[in-house]
Amino acid sequence: MKTIRIGGGQGFWGDLNDAPIVMAKQDKVDYIACDYLAELTLSIMRRQQERRPEAGYARDFITVIKQILPDLKEKGTKVITNAGGMNVKQAVALVKQAIKESGLNFKIGYVLGDDVREILPKLREQGITMQHMDTGEDIDRILPNMVNANVYFGVEPILECLEGGADIIILGRSTDTAMFEAPLIHEFGWKADDWDARATGILAGHLCECGAQATGGNYDYDWRNVPRPEFLGYPIAEVSKPGELIMTKTKNTGGLVTTQSIKEQLMYEIHDPASYITPDVVADFSKITLEGIEKDHVLVKGVTGHPRPDSLKMCVGYLEGYRSVAYLPYSWPDALEKAKMAADILDKRMAMKNLQAIRTHIDYLGLNSLHGPLAAEMHEELNEVCLRYAIMTETKAEALKLTPEIAPVSNLNGPAQGCFFGGRIKPSEVFALWPTLIPRDAVKFTAYVEDVK
Amino acid sequence: MKVQLRKIAHGRCGDKSDTSNICIYAREPKYYKVMEEQLTTEAVRRHFEDIVYGDVIRYDLPQLDGFNFVMHHALDGGATRSLRLDSLGKCLEAALLRFEVEIPDEE
Repeated sequence: MKTIRIGGGQGFWGDLNDAPIVMAKQDKVDYIACDYLAELTLSIMRRQQERRPEAGYARDFITVIKQILPDLKEKGTKVITNAGGMNVKQAVALVKQAIKESGLNFKIGYVLGDDVREILPKLREQGITMQHMDTGEDIDRILPNMVNANVYFGVEPILECLEGGADIIILGRSTDTAMFEAPLIHEFGWKADDWDARATGILAGHLCECGAQATGGNYDYDWRNVPRPEFLGYPIAEVSKPGELIMTKTKNTGGLVTTQSIKEQLMYEIHDPASYITPDVVADFSKITLEGIEKDHVLVKGVTGHPRPDSLKMCVGYLEGYRSVAYLPYSWPDALEKAKMAADILDKRMAMKNLQAIRTHIDYLGLNSLHGPLAAEMHEELNEVCLRYAIMTETKAEALKLTPEIAPVSNLNGPAQGCFFGGRIKPSEVFALWPTLIPRDAVKFTAYVEDVK
Repeated sequence: MKVQLRKIAHGRCGDKSDTSNICIYAREPKYYKVMEEQLTTEAVRRHFEDIVYGDVIRYDLPQLDGFNFVMHHALDGGATRSLRLDSLGKCLEAALLRFEVEIPDEE
């Protein structure tokens, strides 16, 4: 029986570059998919591109691909990635350059069309409402502050690249899971309406797309006993037929694959387990069962699928305001009391400056900055605590009111304010996201394949 | 006896916009029933009421000995806009592990 092995090489922008390199060199997989895009990533990439037109993609991928081209050639491994971000063309140009420098020959595929920022007003004129998915609000209010607008695409344009013989495929805002599902459809010839098969591809993608989270990273069950977390192997899905797959990881690495590691990842960022909506299929994970079949191999069975939705998801990132965050650490004795006094002084100083904040947030690192009001009360004196004072404002000028206030506070209240960290505070932009649905036929994705040598 | 959930359960949380989900599984199958009875939607809503302002929904996964909780308006407006240090709510599953349940005394 034919088995396709597909690995998850990156879980986010900034993830461990070594992971896909070790996977390509030390194991033999048919495909490596590298996911770089979280909800906010494209807004950040767009801002980078505004400052430098040649930016706006995940540069890490170029570092990775340069190191593994000979391994890909030797083993016939193909790579699919959404590293193109907001600037697919630039990422493609750099990968082409890397291929030329390697002296090897590859076919490179890429997809354009998910970046709809420029055509959005036209779509709006066509009567596409773009109401907020959760609140139902009309989009027009936020359009003047739009940073980026991208439509999540599924397998179709990726399949076109594969059918054109592409070895390396660079994408923008594909869904994370489509990068895993497309090669399986391509390899097995699954029919477009074989929903259970498509859902199997989604499952492979879902379990692999966060890298280490399936293989012993963030492992709540038994994190103390994960072997060699410093050389943790990233996940590989082995698929032979619809409805089931085997999860494992790069061989001769640290980490682990257990029913518990897979359980923890299975529901990660899932809402209704019976209805995981993607552009390609609505996957049902609610009846999935897990069975450890040998060391670091877990059999995952019982995934099914239902027909795909009529709409595609679009996410519009827009500028909502500015955020300034200051940190002031205090030592024993009376650390918390002093930190609270500093917060009180800052509150009063900001009131004197008539700060117009949308929100203010005060907490104390070492006490409650992660669990807020749910943190347990402290009955002993803290050795040290750090005040965190955060504001969000509509304008940069308002946010800047906090900047000159932080240093003086260290002389205005109790002693033993240890040090500043993070330097003089600078307001940063706050992006908000506008998730919405648009008709499938409103957007056209185009696939390209080019021979590079 | 009363124990914190950390003794009998493990899980993970994730974020999408202003919604957080927490999957939580019994460490041993015998604790599934305990969790099913005591870790109700209402109990979890009350546990998080100071930081989660929307509905809480529980999905049962009996074949995996666990549950998936979905909590709306849980992330101070969503990761991109939050003023919390834990803007993604990566520590909310740990916060649920503080929840106290009554388990049968060990023989």
